[in-house]
Amino acid sequence: MRALAEAAVDAAMGAGASYADARAVVLRRQYVVTKNGQVDDLSDAESEGIGVRVLVDGAWGFAGAGRLDEAAARDAALRATSFAKAAPGRHETTLAELEPQSGNYRTPVERDPFDVSLSEKVDLCLRAEEGMRGPGVIVTTAMVRAQGEHKVLVSSAGTAVEQELVECGGGIDAYASADGISQIRSYPSQHSGVSGQGGWEFVEALGLEREAPRVGEQVVALLKADECPAGITTVVLSPEQTVMQVHESVGHPTELDRVYGTEAAYAGTSFLSPGDLGSLRYGSPKMNITADATTPRGLGTFAFDDEGVPAQREAIVEEGVLRGFLTSRETAARIGAGAGGSMRADGWSRMPLVRMTNLHLEPGEGSFDELVAGVDDGVYLETNKSWSIDDKRLNFQFGTQIAWEIKSGKLGRMLRDATYTGVTPVFWGKLDAVAGPDEWRLFGLTNCGKGQPGQEAHVSHGAAPSRFRDVQVGVAS
Amino acid sequence: MTRALDLAEQALAAAKGDEAEVLVHAERSGVARFAGSVVHQPTLIDNAVVRLRVVRDGKLGWAATNRADGLADLARRAGEAADQARPDPDFAGLAGPDEYPDAPTYDEETAALGPVEQAQLAATAFDAAGDFDLYGYFTSGVTEIALASSTGLTAEQSLTDADVLCLAASEGASGWAEQTHWRVGGVDPAATAREASEKAARTRGAVELEPGRYPAVLEPYAVAELLRWFSYDSLGAQGFLEERSYFCGRIGERVFDEKVSIADDPLDEANLPKRFDFEGTPKQRVELVEAGVARDVVWDRGSARKAGDGRVSTGHAGPDAWRFYGPLPAALSLAGGEAASTEELVGLVGDGIYVTRLHYLSIVHPRDGVLTGMTRDGTFRIRDGRVAEPLVNLRFTVPMGEVLGDVPGLTRDPMLVNLNELYDERFPYGALVPALATASFHITGTGSGPGP
Repeated sequence: MRALAEAAVDAAMGAGASYADARAVVLRRQYVVTKNGQVDDLSDAESEGIGVRVLVDGAWGFAGAGRLDEAAARDAALRATSFAKAAPGRHETTLAELEPQSGNYRTPVERDPFDVSLSEKVDLCLRAEEGMRGPGVIVTTAMVRAQGEHKVLVSSAGTAVEQELVECGGGIDAYASADGISQIRSYPSQHSGVSGQGGWEFVEALGLEREAPRVGEQVVALLKADECPAGITTVVLSPEQTVMQVHESVGHPTELDRVYGTEAAYAGTSFLSPGDLGSLRYGSPKMNITADATTPRGLGTFAFDDEGVPAQREAIVEEGVLRGFLTSRETAARIGAGAGGSMRADGWSRMPLVRMTNLHLEPGEGSFDELVAGVDDGVYLETNKSWSIDDKRLNFQFGTQIAWEIKSGKLGRMLRDATYTGVTPVFWGKLDAVAGPDEWRLFGLTNCGKGQPGQEAHVSHGAAPSRFRDVQVGVAS
Repeated sequence: MTRALDLAEQALAAAKGDEAEVLVHAERSGVARFAGSVVHQPTLIDNAVVRLRVVRDGKLGWAATNRADGLADLARRAGEAADQARPDPDFAGLAGPDEYPDAPTYDEETAALGPVEQAQLAATAFDAAGDFDLYGYFTSGVTEIALASSTGLTAEQSLTDADVLCLAASEGASGWAEQTHWRVGGVDPAATAREASEKAARTRGAVELEPGRYPAVLEPYAVAELLRWFSYDSLGAQGFLEERSYFCGRIGERVFDEKVSIADDPLDEANLPKRFDFEGTPKQRVELVEAGVARDVVWDRGSARKAGDGRVSTGHAGPDAWRFYGPLPAALSLAGGEAASTEELVGLVGDGIYVTRLHYLSIVHPRDGVLTGMTRDGTFRIRDGRVAEPLVNLRFTVPMGEVLGDVPGLTRDPMLVNLNELYDERFPYGALVPALATASFHITGTGSGPGP
């Protein structure tokens, strides 16, 4: 793979590129999905190829070829160079300095998820599903997945790094329906479960079977629950919902390529500007956000990003003040701060973009019970169900699968169909407590979309339960 | 024979099982993505994915590869997957040979476009954008889909498509336009950029709007997005069988205004035509809503069997990436009305809002057909039957039964709106929809203003 990547870089430089890098990638993905006691999907997919990125007179070009042979590597390099030469516009590209990097990295794995038989995976899913079944449950599903990505990056600046990233995960869902009401309950997350880097031990630790009876009971109970009343009140968010809030209203707006407008036509830009660094009040002093590409079991964990920049841990928000952006070498050079380190590509066929790695809300202190005890009148919201945010990442609306009323510091009746809405810096300004390290959980999501052509990034977020005052729940009357 | 069918037959020959089916999904494409009138994310893709489904003792296993020299390994992995599955009593069997309808799907001129031409077409948009910076892309590509199975099925289709998406923007102003067609001759990047720029020029000085229910005129771009998100749970068989669809218990009942008729029409030349679906079932027009009455949802072979009432597939098995959703309409068509223009719809509304485009939709309550999202890149107040001052982006939270329940009018001529976001393997699809006036569009908040 390294020889092919070197051949591609040589071909690009020979064709007139001032910079070139090539990623040779072998990707394997395995899915087991069961539904209503039957195998719904049992698939094992592999994809290999090379993606070549070039700079010609300041213009980028990128081409991907779905083969790993020298002819394909050189052809991709020449096509990328040709595209860059033809690219219209006023091109000026400067890359932040990077010493040539070399090294190897492999995800620490106790039990390789591809060594676990499909039959064992099917059995786990079927058992978890069985645990959810009961009167009123009309659909049950269980899913486990595994992914292995072996990639080699070579650049014309002397970088040559090789990495093998292994991840796996799983999740369960139950649906119930009666009298025109339909409800869903999921564990650990609605969004294709939760994944993490590591071996099969990660899936075993999820406890899908353990949680299944609760998921089945709750989805049926939701059918008879009252609708969550609208109003301005205190909300306590579960860790899983908190990480969605972090993802959408902190992660995406701090991607510096969005700040510079490169996603304007599709996913949108950001309410932030480069000049906000170090001064913008993002939230309350309780808000501390860290980007950490070294988090154990994080889906955004690596030794080098897809530009060869070594993994970093850096503050994005400290005590409510914006302290950092997620950057590439190009955007870091534009702002004159940072060194990149957040460039990631979805396989060999896509150009790297600025993506989240592992972005966490740092824990505060105390327990979930203490958070709730501090609420006289409010709601506790758990497990994301719907999500939407505007093109500058300001106005958002989230819905959760389940909620509980909080009265006089204690959880009360179950509520269904809860939503809440706000404006990003106003909402984070109302953060008055984050629970402590014992309540902090890591969630790995595999469906973060960005780019045209579209790319799905695998990212992780950690958070503890969080409490926000004066939030609009439901639709204002 | 396409390279896709050639690969499919090779893979089928390597397969070992009681039955086997090979799907090849190949792509050769270029995307000249631009921001600030600079191409910044140019992507060329050349790939062919071979997906093998094997049946052994009533058990199914799938495997996929893009290694043309890896077909023997593909057969082994699919076989192992099948061996470790469990018998599937709901398996509908593999499709057999069939007759496929004629539909224009391929254009030589579009297929011949290379990176230089794709970049030049993007440049023609830049030149037409006037004082505005342009954000978006020009893309064209060839998608080959081929199927071969042990039941004698052999099918191949080559699809071309070309799309230009333009956001014209400067500080405090933004406008949107797009064109898509299966022939590059059917899109005009310069005209698209001009439409976006003219819209953007009218968005400066946007003001806020008090939340509430407003009559609204929705441009085709907005209508297509609403229908797309409504379709995920409500217009496909999976959501219907699992009781998440708005149509559950409502088939045969009046659900929308009688001016609303929705079909899935993959054979319409004005859409992005296809001849068969991903299981090899012939494509056909399916009536989903006729004059406001819910008629059906779309089906694939598995869901039709699960329904158990003699149903057959309507030809709506989707690409592998859509498996989570089950069968979905991929050629939505909303019938036009009598209005000659959007201006005429604005006149019908009198006092309300005008919406060009929507952003980041989500399904809030599937069974009730409630969607949320934001407007963007051309939101205006309507006063006295005319488009008036620009508005900031608005959050909407709308039951689709309400949006489509009272429709004062629709424009006569639908336009094709691209719905393919270019994730996974390329699969061009869109919705053919007119502009629509609704008596009620629920605005529940305000957000950012126009601009990049």
